[in-house]
Amino acid sequence: MPREPSSAWTAAIRLSEGIPVSAEGLPLESREPILRMEQIDKSFPGVHALDHVDFELFAGEVHVLLGENGAGKSTLMKVLSGSIQSDSGRIIIRGKTVHNLSPEYARELGIGMVYQELSLVPALSVAENIFLGKPHKSSLGTIDWRAMYRKAERSLADLGLSIDPKTEVRRLHVAEQQLTEIARVLTAQPKIVLLDEPTSALSDAERERLFALIRLLRERGVGIVYISHRLAEVPLVGQRVTVMRDGRVIGSLDVKDADEPTLVNMMVGRLLTEQFPKEVRAPGRRVFRVEGLSVKGSLHGLSLELREGEVLGIFGLMGAGQPELTRAIFGLDRRSSGRIWVDEKEVLIHTPTDAIRHGIGLLTRDRRMSLVPALPIPPNVTLANVSQLSMHRRVKLRSEARIASEYVRSLRILPPSLNRAVMFLSGGNQQKVVLARWLCSRAKILIFDESTRGIDVGAKAEVFALMNQLTGNKAAIVMISSEMTEILAMADRILVMRGGRFTAEFAAGEATQEKLLRAAS
Amino acid sequence: MSRRSGAGNETAQGKEVAPAASGRIQRAGREVIARLGPIFALVLLGAFLSIATPHFLKVDNMANITRQSAITAILAVGQTMVILTGGIDLSVGAVAAISASSSAVLMTQRFAILGVVIGPLNFELGLLVALAVGALCGLANGLIIARGRIPDFIATLGTLTIFQGIALIITGGLPVPSHITATELKGYLPPQMIWMGAGEVLGIPVAGIIAVVIVVLGWLLLRYLALGRAVFAVGGNREAARVSGISIDRTKIAVYFLSGLIAAVAGFVLAGRMNSSNALMAGEENLRSIAAVVIGGTNLFGGEGGVFGSLIGAFIMGELGNGLNLLNVSAFWQRIVQGLVIILVVVFDQWRRRRLTTAA
Repeated sequence: MPREPSSAWTAAIRLSEGIPVSAEGLPLESREPILRMEQIDKSFPGVHALDHVDFELFAGEVHVLLGENGAGKSTLMKVLSGSIQSDSGRIIIRGKTVHNLSPEYARELGIGMVYQELSLVPALSVAENIFLGKPHKSSLGTIDWRAMYRKAERSLADLGLSIDPKTEVRRLHVAEQQLTEIARVLTAQPKIVLLDEPTSALSDAERERLFALIRLLRERGVGIVYISHRLAEVPLVGQRVTVMRDGRVIGSLDVKDADEPTLVNMMVGRLLTEQFPKEVRAPGRRVFRVEGLSVKGSLHGLSLELREGEVLGIFGLMGAGQPELTRAIFGLDRRSSGRIWVDEKEVLIHTPTDAIRHGIGLLTRDRRMSLVPALPIPPNVTLANVSQLSMHRRVKLRSEARIASEYVRSLRILPPSLNRAVMFLSGGNQQKVVLARWLCSRAKILIFDESTRGIDVGAKAEVFALMNQLTGNKAAIVMISSEMTEILAMADRILVMRGGRFTAEFAAGEATQEKLLRAAS
Repeated sequence: MSRRSGAGNETAQGKEVAPAASGRIQRAGREVIARLGPIFALVLLGAFLSIATPHFLKVDNMANITRQSAITAILAVGQTMVILTGGIDLSVGAVAAISASSSAVLMTQRFAILGVVIGPLNFELGLLVALAVGALCGLANGLIIARGRIPDFIATLGTLTIFQGIALIITGGLPVPSHITATELKGYLPPQMIWMGAGEVLGIPVAGIIAVVIVVLGWLLLRYLALGRAVFAVGGNREAARVSGISIDRTKIAVYFLSGLIAAVAGFVLAGRMNSSNALMAGEENLRSIAAVVIGGTNLFGGEGGVFGSLIGAFIMGELGNGLNLLNVSAFWQRIVQGLVIILVVVFDQWRRRRLTTAA
């Protein structure tokens, strides 16, 4: 579908021409927006997540909210769905200002949110999840299971799904789970639907079905906010697009005026060459090799090799098995088969301790998974070294502080305080602390797993610059990312993953977004 | 609940307006209060009690409080380490009882095993036996939790009654030394043991000195050893500790081992103080030690805190019990007051933590 935007585009226009007036029967321009958010402001420790954001939504429109990861899109929507309280600003729904929005109140107001991280209860059935918190009651006050299953089946059928509503959610594929989540939100018949990156786990056919459903909802006069960081989807679903960057709204435009270069410029805010300071190096000797790596149920016979000074990109859509791959290499999960060589010597990696001993470092997909939030910078930096000591050995606090302050200086970690807990640092600076840990452990093989997620554009550029420095110092990097622009700009070689297998390999010059997507989906 | 979170928001917004420098001072002030909070509470409570009852400040009474609190304080050191990893050891009192009782039995009775006559053991061997039994019990706790992959709470709840059962078997349900052993064998607990529990050096109770020494050792361990670092990392963020190469299992086993070892010392001191050991003594100490740790400011969910706070916490518990006695509050009401204090302290602690994180 994304390969033929023009035809889908015209189809979308035809469809929208079919409904010249909205559900309220007024022409689009003179209508009151069903939702207006004014000057919404929100700060988290170390991050200004939303900087006085204005946002508007009309009934019967799909408003695409576009921006890189960490731009503030999800935060804005969480404010609207009541799961986060804003520090200041007004929310006006159908002309009325609402206060103290809670998730329950938002639901009453007709706001339905489909979260990016699935919010289903894995151990409950599909039907139970769909009617979570509001089960069907019979006249006796007991749960009317039959009605619940029937209704669940119908709302699933609306989405073109034939899932047995009695199935436990954990037995479903990720895509089915995501569609179940959407079904759950839609059964409440919301007037405002928030979709947070709904296609990230879907196949082309499923995505098509979702788009058709979105069109149907629009015709019924539902206002839809569609969050995405995929440019190709904008003309396929939206009428208007608002671009966010670093917690601010950069601009709103009609989809007709939103061509790709304009949007990229708005999203990134700088030229790509500044954003990705890639230095190309001739790769050296082979330092790392994986052969036939399998994990039961997720990875099937993966092999890869890595050379000194090289950045190997691994691209895949959500659910392709990237996190499983890193966990298996790093000894966090059990492998069912697979051999690993470091410097041409076979090594046995059963635990992270083994991986660290052999010079491997992992920047986890979620920084919170790597840092001990209540501890200050020095113990966080030296943790991978201290963990290699026997329990009764002494930690030399003075030299630890000295080493940490050196990294604080060379990586420009701000604020440079050695006493404050790392939970007070911003995302970018936290990521630098994690990086300092692996520099300190003298890791020569570094796995960057979605390491730029949720940090601002400036910090991203710094992380990329550090990757260059590392490869300059003969380190080898595995860069796992679902950001195509990032991976295309930084990787010397790209492997594409799908369903736990590598489906394609490209040299830096050969790959394009189209090729990556085709191999990945 | 809602009122509290409202207050938190207010300060958060107020801080945005305030210049950065005063924010820093505010934060520093809050941290001082947080660190020294337990000491303030101890002093305040002491001041109140010395006004309320003339007997409180007397030297004898002070020594008495110290002896009582020392047992809790010693147990709380091991408990602190366990809680810092995010665990909880409900069995410390039972370990104290089983280790002291088994050693007391060996020190007061004579056995013939395969013709070899054992005992009564002297003080040094008796202490060694107690430590060994305590360490073994702690090791069992650690292994069950780490290898059996069951929650700390359940595991130690189970071992609590198991240890009590074994201790009852060993002592035959009687206090040691019992009338029989005392009269027939002239079997008394060694004087050194009684000195540990009830003796004084320069007017200071030996039990108190032992408690302080163990607290200092615990502090050194937590601050300077790789194990101490692992304890904070595992409790602060289990996943991060694992990714950084720290073995969660080994850390857990180590802290429970130490908790058992330390509990043996506490049991020895307690039996010495009472000049007698029995299988069910220190039953209240399981929960008292946890209360001391929490009152001392250690986060019940792990990762933050320390042994000095627990020492203060133990003395607050001791002071409170003693004060209520002096004020002629009935033992029934004492329980209610102590329970309320524990709950209030934790409520305050949670509130403080929320403010610290939201106001940053």
